[in-house]
Amino acid sequence: MIRIIARKEFTEIVRDGRFMWTAALMVLLLLTAMLAGWQRHSSYMATQAAAQGATNTQWLKQGDKNPHTAAHYGNYAFKPLGPLAFFDNGVTNYTGTTVFMEAHKQNFAIASPAADTSAIGRFGELNGAMILQVLMPLLVIFLGFTAFAGERESGTIRQVMSMGISRLSLLWGKALGLGSAVLMVVLPCVIIGAVFIAMTDLPMVGEGLATRIALLTVAYLAYAGIFLFLTLAVSAWSRSPRTALMVLVGFWAFTAFIMPKTAAEISKAVYPSPPYGSFMADMKAHRARGFDGTPPWAELGKFQGQMMREYRVSDVKDLPFYWTAVRMQRLEELDQRVFDQHFGAVTAAYAGQRRFQDRLGLLAPTLPLRSISMGLAGTDLIQQQKFQDDAESFREAMVEKMNGYLSRAAVSLNGVSSASNYLVANEDVFAIVPPFRYQPPALATTLAEHWMNFAVLAFWLVAAILLALLGVKGMALERD
Amino acid sequence: MLEAIDLRKSYGDHAALEGLNLKVKAGDIYCLLGANGAGKTTTINLFLNFIEPTSGTAMVNGIDVTQSPLETKRYLAYIPEQVMLYGNLTGIENLEYFARLGGHAEYSAADYQSFLDRVGLQANAAHLRVRTYSKGMRQKVGVAIALAKQAKALLLDEPTSGLDPKASNEFSALLLQLRNDGAAILMATHDLFRAKETGNRIGIMKSGRLVQELSTDEVSHADVERIYLEHMH
Ligand SMILES: Nc1ncnc2c1ncn2[C@@H]1O[C@H](COP(=O)(O)OP(=O)(O)OP(=O)(O)O)[C@@H](O)[C@H]1O
Ligand SMILES: [Mg+2]
Repeated sequence: MIRIIARKEFTEIVRDGRFMWTAALMVLLLLTAMLAGWQRHSSYMATQAAAQGATNTQWLKQGDKNPHTAAHYGNYAFKPLGPLAFFDNGVTNYTGTTVFMEAHKQNFAIASPAADTSAIGRFGELNGAMILQVLMPLLVIFLGFTAFAGERESGTIRQVMSMGISRLSLLWGKALGLGSAVLMVVLPCVIIGAVFIAMTDLPMVGEGLATRIALLTVAYLAYAGIFLFLTLAVSAWSRSPRTALMVLVGFWAFTAFIMPKTAAEISKAVYPSPPYGSFMADMKAHRARGFDGTPPWAELGKFQGQMMREYRVSDVKDLPFYWTAVRMQRLEELDQRVFDQHFGAVTAAYAGQRRFQDRLGLLAPTLPLRSISMGLAGTDLIQQQKFQDDAESFREAMVEKMNGYLSRAAVSLNGVSSASNYLVANEDVFAIVPPFRYQPPALATTLAEHWMNFAVLAFWLVAAILLALLGVKGMALERD
Repeated sequence: MLEAIDLRKSYGDHAALEGLNLKVKAGDIYCLLGANGAGKTTTINLFLNFIEPTSGTAMVNGIDVTQSPLETKRYLAYIPEQVMLYGNLTGIENLEYFARLGGHAEYSAADYQSFLDRVGLQANAAHLRVRTYSKGMRQKVGVAIALAKQAKALLLDEPTSGLDPKASNEFSALLLQLRNDGAAILMATHDLFRAKETGNRIGIMKSGRLVQELSTDEVSHADVERIYLEHMH
């Protein structure tokens, strides 16, 4: 019975004039978006690979110099993106792609594509995910708002109900028919996208590509299902198809346009992040006065006494390591506590904002889907954070390695006057710092971070189905 | 086959039906007459369980329609004043869809065509979209749907209003055929002539009450009209 209804529903939808132009528009936009995304992604990745390669070489070929000076010379981390970034570039337009890693300073990621408008071009905003998140619901609504309201207005619903079929079969049949029509439009485009990825020779960043694609498909199907059942519910409830359309388009605008922006604003107000302007100044002042009020020079004095006691020497020049290097490393560690606190506050604020937005997903199903999509594509803030954390770990290791080498290699220079107090290292020494490699979070980590969004999306789907069931149960057969 | 027992339906304090008792047996063509608003459509809607009775029972084949709304509809076919079909489907597609909804998946394409032939739909119209049909053509598809359902009871609500005389005549012939096959037919109509011609029983309704029942073989055309008009005054 359900199949019979579904088939008729599908035939009717496909024959309707609405179908041709909405489907054509959808396919056109989706393919354009994916193509634009693909171009953006390949050019980004080409630039990233070239830049990372160049900076790695630059580090090695920086010319013979003192290892600590080499750490000052520094290194750059360029963020690579997973292949799914072409489908959903998430926040990557607005977050920094590059971190300068140097001694004594933890830096923010800089150079977002949005700041460099020529790089992202006119279609920078356009991507497949956006089309599916914003336009797919509209397609569902346009094809489905007449499902019950239209049959009631034309009177066919009486004829149908006189045949002795249950309202439940009617609902499932219509859901299946409408769903097939929507899939017929969307699925080919998605398959084309998957083929794009399969053909790619770009480096794979992040593991579990097949699982990611499968999960993305499930999430987007659930999202389409939410709108499908909401559309059927409203269509069953509304007095006329026109009312149904108005209610549905209103909800669509709310969830797809108003809420994503509003949710970000609200969450920023609830969990304010430290203003960038004063952030650097505050951190600098904190470094000068010391992490817990003891200034660095005093801490270093204490450290020196401690070292001399430990090694039973009365002069630092008798220490079994190059004192200047160990002292610099100690300073680095003192500073690190300040960096950790200040950058940690920013991270915590972002995390708070994210959790708050996740909860607002109960008001708008676009929010959880958007987060899940970005998460699986590897383009959300969680992954940006991981990139910055990786860069910071790299920086710490780089400085530690250079200072460490110096402390061992220059013991003989202890106590030598500063003019000739200089050890020069070459490429072989710099090579003890391996090239920067971003390790994207494991899929399991991403999923754990997003469990709330999966739960909210599932909640919406169940709620939409329940509403549709209630809708057809109480559905009037007469127009009034 | 169809039975109403003290059937009552009120909308607020307005009673659309006030205690209707009525019985239509297999082989009966029972014509319900009555002025606009007398309660004819209300009666049919109650048999279809499209509306809930305020009190009383409507039975189909001995089964209470409010208890088993889906089962009782298996025995029913319904032809309204305006048969509503899907404009973007062809006549034959509409017929097939409704036949399948009615639980008849066994028909072949030739069967569907022969149903449409039986009700007198032009041969070339079967494959046209129903959007292009005239009212009469839709009505004929409605009858074909009823035939395909092989229903034991037919509920007809002014089914021939708007049909041309020839089609109307053919329709009556079809009804007689169905009756001879043992169907029970309840038809609301304003056509006194056809009620007397086709029906074997006539019920006259006024303000939600059945005020008189007649057997058509005991009265003339003139009698039917006279009695009807007497009640309306
Ligand atoms: N949904 C409704 N709400 C309120 N009153 C209604 C409703 N449906 C029918 N009625 C009232 O019930 C009464 C009977 O209506 P019904 O449609 O059964 O008349 P009818 O005999 O079929 O008339 P007609 O010959 O015009 O088709 C009328 O007074 C009508 O106004
Ligand atoms: Mg009526």
